[in-house]
Amino acid sequence: MRGVFGKEKILIVQALVFIVVFVASFIHTATAQALLQIGAQAPDFSLKDIEGKDISLSQYAQKKAVVVLFWSTWSAKSPNALKRFEDFYKKYKDRGIQVIAINADNQTISNEDMEKIKNLGKELDITFPMLLDKALKTFHEYSVIALPSTIIVSEGKITYELPGLPLVGTEDMFDYLLVLAGEQLKKKMEPKYKPRHDAIADTNLARGFVKKKRYEMAYPLFKKAIEKDPKYMLPYVELAKLYELDGKRTEAEEAFRKALAIESENVVVMSELGYFLTKTGRTKEAVEILEKAVKVNSYTPAHYYYAYALAKNGQMERALNAFDSALSLNPYDPLIYSLRGEVYENGKMLKESASDYKKALGLILKIKE
Amino acid sequence: MKKHVKAEVKVKVKEKVMVKVFIICILYLYLLSSPVVFAQQEKAVSLYKESVKFSEEGNIDRAIEVIKEAVNADPNYPEAYDHLGYMMLKRGQLDEAISAFNSALKINPRMRTSKTGIGLALLKKGDLKGAESVLKDALTLNPYPSMTHYALGLVYEKLGDYEKAIMHYKEGIKTYKVRIGKE
Repeated sequence: MRGVFGKEKILIVQALVFIVVFVASFIHTATAQALLQIGAQAPDFSLKDIEGKDISLSQYAQKKAVVVLFWSTWSAKSPNALKRFEDFYKKYKDRGIQVIAINADNQTISNEDMEKIKNLGKELDITFPMLLDKALKTFHEYSVIALPSTIIVSEGKITYELPGLPLVGTEDMFDYLLVLAGEQLKKKMEPKYKPRHDAIADTNLARGFVKKKRYEMAYPLFKKAIEKDPKYMLPYVELAKLYELDGKRTEAEEAFRKALAIESENVVVMSELGYFLTKTGRTKEAVEILEKAVKVNSYTPAHYYYAYALAKNGQMERALNAFDSALSLNPYDPLIYSLRGEVYENGKMLKESASDYKKALGLILKIKE
Repeated sequence: MKKHVKAEVKVKVKEKVMVKVFIICILYLYLLSSPVVFAQQEKAVSLYKESVKFSEEGNIDRAIEVIKEAVNADPNYPEAYDHLGYMMLKRGQLDEAISAFNSALKINPRMRTSKTGIGLALLKKGDLKGAESVLKDALTLNPYPSMTHYALGLVYEKLGDYEKAIMHYKEGIKTYKVRIGKE
């Protein structure tokens, strides 16, 4: 009798261990896979400021909002962004708004870089913390796609993201910050859309399955996420990419088009659809869509997908210019170099092609040159 | 005669006892020394991690100091030699780097990163053919040889063979994607 109970106990323990390991593996995958998005937990960081002092995001947990501004001395719009935030900070720092600037000049900050950073800080009279991101760890953790980029964190969660410093989007963002600081706006502000939590969870879980090549498990989860929150664009894009990966091009295009029917100006959907169309040989259509996407905001992939489509469409000079504008937004995205490498290769410019592919692989492998 | 036999038996018994005592001593010494060995191994692993952290922060001098301590703590730790090799490579001390990589390979001949490291050191020394040969060998040891493809790309770029360089860089990107499940 005791022996039977003993065996049962062992079986129960084994089952529990299995469940714990199984669940843990998914939690890990989902966390690692999660796109940083509105509603997601903001990863904490602890970085040194230019004076060598440690500053972390969590130390400002009591603030109404923390503005995290990623910037670099080489990006044309960064000084403007720093200046605007400094003006805002001076006015509203006592109303629960904290600004932190994270520099992303280089993988390793040289003395020369440091001098440039400090000089710009002095020139603009910056009073909020200016942090250094060694090996661009935080930059990658936040999946920054353009410089400058602003992320607003409130109650530990990402509540606003803005790549670049676009004319229209920037004013909306400052309006949002004014509301957080307790100001009454003259114009009525549309509440910022937040995807449903269960839709985010399903999407992340599905992406975990895609990574494990268990497509049959991923499909229903993406579809469920869309059903739960039809305004949430990420599952449409991911579902379309999965269809493409699975060789189902018609279904992939359908998923992109459904998303666009709901939000016709969504820059991510336009960009991904444009890239998809380029790969399927419909370059003219792709150029049209991507032309619209690059005008929306400084979403770097829109710029390099546009460049790629232009090149495939035989407009080499314009293509190379568009690649340059993508690089001016984010020189750390390997896909820019990979696509330009392909363009050069097709144009028989082998030396340039090799150099670009090398850069792409170097960035992927995080090789410091 | 009987006396002689008795003496022989006595000697045999003595021998057996001696062997047993010897084995017990060895076991005792092993038991005594194993916690020390494990402690040294643990110390080496922790020093290795510390050195990796220093190298990620760009503090190569400190990374070298710490990894040398790890090698002293556990001289049979191939990863420590491998890391030392890469640090030496970063500092441009190519012969020292090759020597560290060879030490890693002596302990573990399938240490693919060390083979790639030797290839990179030879490339930096200007021995392009030697680098090509070692790196091709390293490719066979590695299921996802992105780094080795990268190094081979560098070799062919230097040799002016851009087609082969492109091929290896693209393969490197592809194998990386396969490894992380994007393809």
